[in-house]
Amino acid sequence: MKRTKIIIVAHVLAFTLHAQTPVAPTAESVGIPRGDTISGYNVRQSFELGYRWHSVGGDAGMYRSTVNYGNGPRLLSSSLSVNSVDGHGGYFDHVQINTIGLGNDPYESASLRLEKNRLYRYDLSWRSDAYYNPGLTISGGEHFLDTVRHVQDHDFTLFPQGSFKILLGYSSNTQTGPALTTIQQFDVRGDEYPLFANIRRAQHEYRLGTELTMMGFRLNVLHAWVDFKDDTPVSLGAASQGNNLADLNTLTSLQRSEPYHGTSPYWRVALFRENRLWAANGRFSYVAGHRAFVDDETAFGFNRVGTPTGSQIVTLGNAERPALAGNFTFSLFPSAKLTLTNQTSISHIRMVGNSYFTQVTNGIFSTPFNPFTFLGIRTIANATDADLRLNKWFAVRAGYEYSTRRIRSIEGADIRGVTTPPSQRVPIEQENGLHTGLLGVRIRPLKALSILLDTEIGRADHPIYPVSQRNYETYRGRIEYKLKSVRLAGYSRTDYNTNSASLANFASHSRQYGVDGSWIPKNWFSIDASYTKLHLDTLGAINYFAQISTVGPVQQVTTDQSRYVSNIHSGNLSARVSIRQRVDVSAGYSLVQDVGASNLVFPQSFPLRYLSPQGRVSVRIHEKIRWNAGYQYYGYHEDYSGLQNYRAHTAYTSMLWAF
Amino acid sequence: MRYSWGMLVGGVRAVLGLFFLSIFILATPAALPAADYVGSNVCRTCHPNVFASFFRNPHYKSIASGKEKPENTGCESCHGPGQDHVNARGGKATIPVAFSLVSPEKVLDTCLRCHSQTVSRANIRRSEHTQRDIVCTNCHSIHSSPAPKFLLAKQQQSELCYGCHASVRAQFSMPFKHRVNEGFMQCTDCHNPHGSFASTWNMAARPRMVDQAGGNEEPCLKCHIDKRGPFVYEHAAVRVDGCETCHSPHGSTNARLLKRPVTFTLCLECHNGFANFGRRLDGPQNPSASHNLADPRYQNCTTCHVRIHGSNGSQLFFR
Repeated sequence: MKRTKIIIVAHVLAFTLHAQTPVAPTAESVGIPRGDTISGYNVRQSFELGYRWHSVGGDAGMYRSTVNYGNGPRLLSSSLSVNSVDGHGGYFDHVQINTIGLGNDPYESASLRLEKNRLYRYDLSWRSDAYYNPGLTISGGEHFLDTVRHVQDHDFTLFPQGSFKILLGYSSNTQTGPALTTIQQFDVRGDEYPLFANIRRAQHEYRLGTELTMMGFRLNVLHAWVDFKDDTPVSLGAASQGNNLADLNTLTSLQRSEPYHGTSPYWRVALFRENRLWAANGRFSYVAGHRAFVDDETAFGFNRVGTPTGSQIVTLGNAERPALAGNFTFSLFPSAKLTLTNQTSISHIRMVGNSYFTQVTNGIFSTPFNPFTFLGIRTIANATDADLRLNKWFAVRAGYEYSTRRIRSIEGADIRGVTTPPSQRVPIEQENGLHTGLLGVRIRPLKALSILLDTEIGRADHPIYPVSQRNYETYRGRIEYKLKSVRLAGYSRTDYNTNSASLANFASHSRQYGVDGSWIPKNWFSIDASYTKLHLDTLGAINYFAQISTVGPVQQVTTDQSRYVSNIHSGNLSARVSIRQRVDVSAGYSLVQDVGASNLVFPQSFPLRYLSPQGRVSVRIHEKIRWNAGYQYYGYHEDYSGLQNYRAHTAYTSMLWAF
Repeated sequence: MRYSWGMLVGGVRAVLGLFFLSIFILATPAALPAADYVGSNVCRTCHPNVFASFFRNPHYKSIASGKEKPENTGCESCHGPGQDHVNARGGKATIPVAFSLVSPEKVLDTCLRCHSQTVSRANIRRSEHTQRDIVCTNCHSIHSSPAPKFLLAKQQQSELCYGCHASVRAQFSMPFKHRVNEGFMQCTDCHNPHGSFASTWNMAARPRMVDQAGGNEEPCLKCHIDKRGPFVYEHAAVRVDGCETCHSPHGSTNARLLKRPVTFTLCLECHNGFANFGRRLDGPQNPSASHNLADPRYQNCTTCHVRIHGSNGSQLFFR
């Protein structure tokens, strides 16, 4: 009885402590189905079939960019589980299928696991994401197409529990659909013209590997071939005056073809071993990325002084990026209380690009040249950590990491006989170093109470960018009180970074605070709440040209600063009540509000509010059937400009059948 | 005394031999303590509810096999020999490994007896989770998991992670975010909760627990293939410090997960022309005098610099 009660409580826990996930599919189940046993297999299934509605007021394009649920019938979720009762099935011992959102939801997924004990295991994951590309509203209204990404992964393991495994895999990632891009013509003071693109991208990865055990060591070798290609056509449509209607620039026709294809084959070799006194692992990988491309572009129109202009540009060439990485980690466990770990890593990436560029403008053939760039990044890092558990309630850990990075760069265009060939150019080189110290403690004064405190301090020399980490400090604290029916937690995290060199400076202050908790006094009632405050303020020196007065010339502004302040309050509240184990009612509320700055002068601050209350009722009308209905509201409100605000009502009803 | 080539080879062989011998000695498992294993059928007598559905559990393989040693079979493979527990007629204290009573490191040791030998868990001993006493049973529920695959303690992986990472939950509640709550993505698409190798970007110090794509690239490139390159003209910031230079990967109040609501301030914070920064150490180039930043036309840099992640034909990322 007690065990049954624990299982029910665990079951309730699993279904109640939700983040603000979409209101459908329904989280409640009809119970714990025991399934039917057929020919030595236990079979369990569930299907949730339903219908979605939505109604949007305001900027429907913004709704489709951020939420995108539509109308229509859906297989909101389904699962099939087949298990061999004795573990000795014929061709398989376990089949597991799960789906979400099939039938035209913007976010669809399906997964399959098929395995036969000790012989094989096959995993399939298929996902689809349809998202709206808001840029196309320039077409004078909404369009009806989403850009769709399909991702699928197949992994097959032969002898999964054996000391010798064979690993086969295939992954595919395709992206198709409309998008917006722009082109700038005909010179640097020209205009920008929106273009429609029909995205056609694909990447395919094939994997072959093995894993074997020898003398307690495990060797894993994997080789993969990655092919990718893009052949996205763009079109101008009608003649365009560009974004700036005040000038004479006009683009009357454009043809562009810019296909590319490439490969990125990689090797990964890993050797590792875990023992009572020590553990070691080493990993080496090498990838040789290569891309061949051509860009053929012809444009006709009028330039900024109204002269008819025709321009043709052809670029073709190759780009390569070989990358090597290695890691070696050695851990010592001299006693049950102490763990010492040292990790050394090295990575070396080289990017080399050669291309041929030629341009013909109004029949005048400009000198062709070969742009050449080289970027090499070599990073070596060594980290040492010590973790000491002094007693049951107190532990301390400390660590030190040093990494050094060398960045080499060669840039230029090679005009034969005029400029220095790339091979004779002297690279520009710089070294960066980073020292990082870590210290943390874990305190558990009571079994239910845990306290974590840790800090990380880093000092870098020569950061590559003003916004990079230079002098940074991070402080984190977390306290949690956890019993079977109640959990309370609070945390705080502070990240400060200051970067200054020469005349430039950049400072970033990020502070996060939060509390969250859940209370499940009975298996028919639960409540879950969280509040988080995310603060970020940054200050950076900027340098630009601007026309300060309405009649004056463009001047250089060197003393301005970019100040950004974001104060985001985020809260989640959800509650669930089960009435006589027949009716489940759940409600949730999610709010994200950036209140912006309060006391700084002229900061960038863009207050907005995004809220989403939801409610759901689920009625068990039969031992195996539930009827569900839910409603979720989405409200997006920007204080600065209301052009993108929207209010969306979404609802669904469904029948869940499980057996 | 003269040293010959043969002596040198012999010496190297001796050193290597001693090295591997020492590894072999250290690698030899310690003898198991004398113990009385009773078998899972005895456990079934008092725990029928657990056993009734155990055939669905991946750990049932050890029982179905029938070939495993007693210490690697069924209940006792995780909980230890049960004779004392049987003799005492029950009681948690008599279970050698009662997971609700033992220390986190004991939980880890027990699970890693079988589960240590995969690449994805190669760094579990030094992972951020382990160092904070977050071990296997904090995230996996062996007997009452609502998620058959990986035996997660909650039905949705994201809910499991949000249990501790509430600030991440807040980020994924924002209007612009990766579709994790919607079920399209999972935390493990980008993170390895069992610990990851040092990253190959951003000085190898941060971010931690971020899993790398096959070629040691940022996980972003697993999906965003058009940003992958290689390009003739790389935007060096992407390769040197990573995508997080400009984007907040979990979620943002700004479109396209950008760190700033307007583009030009994001760009100008680096492209300010001040010396000592950039790949040439002369500062990332600030906009030329042809850019009147007071004119809104110039404030969205990527309208013209459309190939901002990298370009094959334009050093200024025009095409």
